[in-house]
Amino acid sequence: MTVGIAVGASALADGPDPATKKRRRSTRIVLDTPRATRRAQTRLGLLLVAPVMILVLLFFLVPLGNAIYYAFVDFNGVNPNPEFVGLANFIELFQDPNLWPALKNNAIWIIIGTIAPLVIGLALALLMWNVGRGGVLYRVAFFLPYVLPQVAVGVVWSWIYDPVRGWLNQALDAVGLSFLRTGWLGNPDTALFAVLATAIWATSGFVFVILLAALRNVDIELVDASRLDGANTIQRLWYIILPQIMPVFLMVTTITLVGGFSVFDIIFVMTGGGPAGATDVLGTLAYSEAFQLNRISYGTTIALVMTVLAVPFAVWLNRLQRRVSLQGTGA
Amino acid sequence: MTINDNPTSPRVRAWRVGRHTVLIVLSLFAIFPIILTISTAFKTDADVTVNPFGLFSSFSFENVVVAWTDGNFGDYVLNSFLLSVPSTILVVVVSTMAGYAFARLPFPGRGIAFYLVMLGLLVPFFTYMIPLYFQLRGMGLLDTLPGVNLVLTTTGLAFGTFFMRAFFSDLPTELEQAARIDGASEWQIFWRIMVPLVSAGAGALAVFTFLQNWNNFLVPLLYVPGGEFRPLTTGLYLFLGGRSIDIGPLAAGTLITIIPVIVVFILLQKQVTQGFLSGAVKG
Repeated sequence: MTVGIAVGASALADGPDPATKKRRRSTRIVLDTPRATRRAQTRLGLLLVAPVMILVLLFFLVPLGNAIYYAFVDFNGVNPNPEFVGLANFIELFQDPNLWPALKNNAIWIIIGTIAPLVIGLALALLMWNVGRGGVLYRVAFFLPYVLPQVAVGVVWSWIYDPVRGWLNQALDAVGLSFLRTGWLGNPDTALFAVLATAIWATSGFVFVILLAALRNVDIELVDASRLDGANTIQRLWYIILPQIMPVFLMVTTITLVGGFSVFDIIFVMTGGGPAGATDVLGTLAYSEAFQLNRISYGTTIALVMTVLAVPFAVWLNRLQRRVSLQGTGA
Repeated sequence: MTINDNPTSPRVRAWRVGRHTVLIVLSLFAIFPIILTISTAFKTDADVTVNPFGLFSSFSFENVVVAWTDGNFGDYVLNSFLLSVPSTILVVVVSTMAGYAFARLPFPGRGIAFYLVMLGLLVPFFTYMIPLYFQLRGMGLLDTLPGVNLVLTTTGLAFGTFFMRAFFSDLPTELEQAARIDGASEWQIFWRIMVPLVSAGAGALAVFTFLQNWNNFLVPLLYVPGGEFRPLTTGLYLFLGGRSIDIGPLAAGTLITIIPVIVVFILLQKQVTQGFLSGAVKG
């Protein structure tokens, strides 16, 4: 569940956003209010914000600052005064033979893991549009995979991929494709895609729910009018429906795409980055360096690089989303 | 799509039947792994060895008993509650307070404070998980309930604050002005008037946060490494590594892990979806 990052980008893109206009108005009203009221409001404001600030400072900002510090020293988890090493961790990282395969896996994951759920989710949402009876049941069934813990999902899909008696191999036998039989998670050629398929199975439901909600706001009269004008299904979808849901579509794209950068749980549970690094991504690499090899500083450096890569994507997609939604309201 | 010409025409009926068939097949595919879990969990031991993943080929409670007692899943259930419930309550309370302040109260440093909280949505947990480990160890909070609860709370606060602020921003200003004229204090306006109006939002946030905390894997894996407070997610992972041959009890453990999620989700699916939609679409 990685709703966070895209929302974060939108919140940071141009400051306090959805409420900005309203806020300006209310600030003006506040300025007209008596001084005593304003003082009371300031006091209450500080009081109400204090808990969030203390927690965020203590358990987010301080460790985040330390992460940057760790990347420039040589810390092994034990010595209290680690030696300053400058850019040595970064230089080592770019010469690390494990880095490029992991980056490549991450890139494959981001591209396929974004496009596939978007296509499947959109198809499901269109199929469900105005379904009437049974709608709730289908919605629950499609969304359920997304709310399950990834550990449990990983366990069950490992059975489906079981080399000997797993359902996938049995299904291949049943349709006469036995030559495709393999140990899906143990074979370096298929492992990444097998785990990715599981992730797509889990994520599509999320895209579906969001897009289904967006479709509810599509102007039906416009769709009907275009049909009377002789537009076929594809044309209606491309020219009438998609433009209307484009801002939401881009928002889901941002969430799925940026989620791909920080993928960890499902790979960690299903393959642990193996076989022989075939499913390693930056996340599993950072974890194993830090917690299995005790290379704390080096693991932290990998994690930092991942953030540096992900943030520009989030911000760029958010800009795009904003522009599209402005065009939408202007037209 | 929208076919509303003649509801009884053969074309319309064929489309309806066809669509429902496709939807039923797809939803079976979506929930198939859950069906597989249930069927494997309730198998006899003998049947598991011969036919580990055959659907509903025998019935017995022995796997569930083994998982609950030998596999410690009974303890894990309790720990999952101890980890997720207090942090969910904290997220909702602290976010409601902060959301109101950020939406409607002026105070010095509001802009920068908001940016600092929202930064939590942009930075993956990964980036600071390693230093946080050593920090918790230094504070004596590693392997303690308060430690992991505070971390879980903090990871939920950025989204929670953002979410609650959106609800408070939507309320009309006339309400507080009227209350102020009637002599209500600022605290009374917040507590008596504003909070009740966002209770639906707070409820959606609670459900959403609970599921996230219950499902969280990395936080307990890293910060409660001892066995005492191990929740279902990491318990299931260790069970997977330790006894990979015993598929029956593993299936039962998986089932115990996902049942609360499924129950909460089915009972409250409107709130869950609303949580996602408000978080995503409204934002």
